[in-house]
Parts: sequence; structure tokens; C-alpha cells
Amino acid sequence: MNRIWQSFVLETGAELLKAFRAPEFIFPTLGMPVAFYSLFAILLPGSSNNSAHLLATYGVFAVMGPAIFGFGISVANERDKGWLDLKLAAPSQGFSYIGAKVFSTLLFSSISLIIIYLVAGFGAGVELPQSTWAMMLVSHVLATFPFILIGLIIGFSCSGNAAIAISNVIFLALAALGGLWIPMMLFPQSMQTFAHFLPTFHLSEIALFILGASGERDIAYHLMIVGLMSIILLLLTTLAWSKQRSR
Amino acid sequence: MDHSPPILIAKDLTKSYGKVAAIKGVNINLQGAGVFAILGQNGAGKTSLIKCALGLEKMSSGSLQIMGYQPGSLQAKRQIGVILQDSDLPDLLTVREQITLFASYYPKPFSVNQTIEMCELQAFADKRYKNLSGGQKRRAQFALAIVGNPQLIFLDEPTTGLDIEARRNLWAIIRQFANQGKTIVLTTHYLEEAENLADRIMIMNSGVIVADASPNDIKKQTTGSVIRCETQISKDVLQNIAGVSSVMNTGRYTEIRSDNVNQSLSEMLQLDPLLSDLTVAQPKLEDVFSTLSQGEQS
Repeated sequence: MNRIWQSFVLETGAELLKAFRAPEFIFPTLGMPVAFYSLFAILLPGSSNNSAHLLATYGVFAVMGPAIFGFGISVANERDKGWLDLKLAAPSQGFSYIGAKVFSTLLFSSISLIIIYLVAGFGAGVELPQSTWAMMLVSHVLATFPFILIGLIIGFSCSGNAAIAISNVIFLALAALGGLWIPMMLFPQSMQTFAHFLPTFHLSEIALFILGASGERDIAYHLMIVGLMSIILLLLTTLAWSKQRSR
Repeated sequence: MDHSPPILIAKDLTKSYGKVAAIKGVNINLQGAGVFAILGQNGAGKTSLIKCALGLEKMSSGSLQIMGYQPGSLQAKRQIGVILQDSDLPDLLTVREQITLFASYYPKPFSVNQTIEMCELQAFADKRYKNLSGGQKRRAQFALAIVGNPQLIFLDEPTTGLDIEARRNLWAIIRQFANQGKTIVLTTHYLEEAENLADRIMIMNSGVIVADASPNDIKKQTTGSVIRCETQISKDVLQNIAGVSSVMNTGRYTEIRSDNVNQSLSEMLQLDPLLSDLTVAQPKLEDVFSTLSQGEQS
């Protein structure tokens, strides 16, 4: 048991070292969300009315990057280079490869969230009850999981180079069309309808519900859809995994 | 009498990818320490065989066991270390970090420092993998293969792409491990590598093992020279010429293996003064293959 634990700690450490030593991962995942939030919630004129609303949606944006890029690009790369095969041939515990990546991704998501929360609280003057901050943090951290599955599907089914392009397209499309950058009510009706097919829309609606943002929300509906989408993504992940194993 | 199970035993092993058969019924029995080379050209089925032994790919039929365990089981994996063909380690981790991580997978690993010493990595142990030279990278991979102190080490084309000095360097380290009682299975398409390093050579061609012998016995089959020419002399006549051991028609040309080139040639020129496009060469690996596969069939 001790040895398994030690191995998991080393595995997680290796994941964190790899991430912190890669500026091309650090800047987009930690820098971009807070930069966008500062622009839209603080710097643009008239933005101060929206700063709380945007905190809910940019929180979802903040956890997308570490999950989609961390899993999509890194798993695809490690498959390409035979590193995944080498691990599968070694007597490592199967869960520790994925487990360590999940753990380090959650850590990165949390760092990204804390940076945005600090900017929101001190820079944009967002004031919320402590319990609301806490609930929102929980919902944002949990929102990482569907994106981890999306990242894994990309990682298991694409080559390293394709994964970079596809991860970026999916990342930007989910963010823009799911209403993470600009509030959904400013979108034309057809795009608002389309957003119901995107996990980003439902996850940000859940965060907005916790925040008590204006407008009516059917929280049960959004939770159900997120649950359903996660199950479908999980099935697709196992499919992508077994497909790449049976080459 | 030693009753422990063989290090690796394969019986009638086959592996197909769709309609393409990569391994067509292979039998192997490896006992004890030493370097066992599987020699063959690209596409001969060497890598498929290794991947089946590692449990990375499912065999289509037949059986294979590692020290009595199923390939891919935790017990089997603990007995195995490996360098995979064309594989790389994470660029941003240092050699020492990677060795430390891999050591944690095994029940009784060598210490990290011991591993670094044995593989002669001291000079670059704290460098990131991406900053290493080709030869250093392969030695780092070798360190991951041995850090768990496994009995069986698979090296799938470990020296491909290395310069001669880096290659010799790795050979010395590999040889050292065999002398310490380890079993090393090495695939290569360099005849020279197998000759220098192996205690036993298995030659694989089109998914079949066509020869399984010591380097000396294999060499005996590669002695002599290959005469290649365009000639009217019939195969039957050629086979009776002094020194000729085998004759093969390759389209326009005829290839004659001879242990006595001078005598064979003078007789041939007497029989066919118009003989043309004549070359004489040392046998290549391909010639060994063709001789051996012919031998299998007859």
C-alpha cells in the first residue's frame, strides 16, 4: 500500500513538473482566463455591472484549459512517442497514470480559479456571501471533469499534431458558443438554442444559479443534462481507449 | 536439476492484423542468462513478437508465458524491463526523475544512484531528456529498462540510428547485464550486432523463425561468397560445379553461393564464355535469409 502511494505521489510530481516546465501550457491555461476576465469585467467601459455574472462563466472557462489541453495534447503526445506503451508494459498501477493527471489537472484548475476569484474580489469589486464563494468554487472544480473526458477522447483518438489543432478548436468553440465570454442573452435566438447542446452552457448556468444571477433557471434540467453528457462522454472515452488498444 | 519454468516460452504463436499475418507460428524456449538476438529485416515480425510478450498486443493463437505467467499480468510485468522501438521519454523530465519514477513501479528495484552508475549516466543524469544526444537518450531508456532489477530485458532495436561509438558503448553495458545473470532479448537488423553480442541468434523472416543457433553456426551458413551473373548455364549444371552450395534465379540474373570462388568461376567461364554482368560479393543478410528459408522448405 505504501509503495502504491509513493508511486502515485511520484507520478503526480512528474505531471506537475512537466506542466510547470512548459510555458506553452502555463500561459494559455493560467494566463488567458484571467486576462480575458480582466478585460471584459474590469477594463471595458460599463463592464462593472457584469463582473459577478462574468465570474460565473469565466470560472468555467478557467477549468477548461488545463483539462482539454492537459489531457488532449499530452496524452496524444505520450501515445505518439510510445511513452504510454512503455508505462503499460511496466508494472505501474493502471490508475496512477490517469489518477496523477486528474490530480494535477484539478490542481491547475484550482490555481486558475483562485487567480480569477482574487481578481474578481479585489479588482472588480465582486461581493458575495462566503457560502456562495464556496459553493461556486465547488461547482467550478467539479466542472473540470466533463472537460477531462473531452481531453481524453482527443488524446486517445488523435496524433500529437492533430491533437493540438483539434484541442484548440474545441476549446475556443465550446467557450465562445457556450456563452462563457459574452453573456448568452446577447446572442441571437438560434445560437441560444444551439448552446443547449454544449456542456459549457449548462455548467455556466449552474454557476449562475449558485450566484443568484438575474433570470429564471431550471437547475434540475441543467444538472440532468450535465450528468447525461458526462455519461455519454465517459462511454466515448472507453470506446476511444479500446479502439486505440486494438490497433 | 532446475525445475523453474523457462524464462520465455512460446508455442505455435501467431499474430494477425486483419488479413495480414505478422507471426505465422513461432516456437521459442529461452532458459537461463544470456543475450538472445532476434535478427530480421523490417516487417519480419520481430516487434509484433515483442509486443505480444509484453501484453501490449493480443496474440491471435498459440501461447506465450513469461516465467510461468501470462503476458500483461502484473507478475509477468514485474519480471520484465523494456526498450520499445522508436519510443521516447517525456522531454521535460530529467533522467534522474524518470528513473526515480520507474523504480517505484517495481518491488525490488536497484537504487537510483546504482542505476545511474551501472548505465554510466553520471554526466547527464540531471539534464532534461530533450537536451540529450541520441546515444544518451538510448542509455537513459536502457536505465528505465533495468532499474526494476528484472530477470528479462527486451530491447527492440536499441541501437537503430546510433553512431558506431554510441552503439559499441551500449553493447558493452548490455553484455555486462547478461554476464550478471540476466536474460536479454534483443531485436536487430544488424548482423554485426547479433554476432558481437548474442549467445544465440534466432533469424526471423516473414513471421517465421528460419534459424535458431549460436552465432558460430549461423556464420558457417554465411561463409563463402555470392557470385551474381547473367548466364545460360542451367541450374542443375551449376549445382554440380565444385564449391557451389546453392543456386538461385533472380529474374535475369543467377546467384550462386560458393565456398571456392576461384574454382567455381573458372569452371563457369569454361562452360559459358559469354557469361556477363559478373559480380562477386560477401553474403548479405538477405542471402542468409534466402538460404535459410530454402533450407526450411526442402
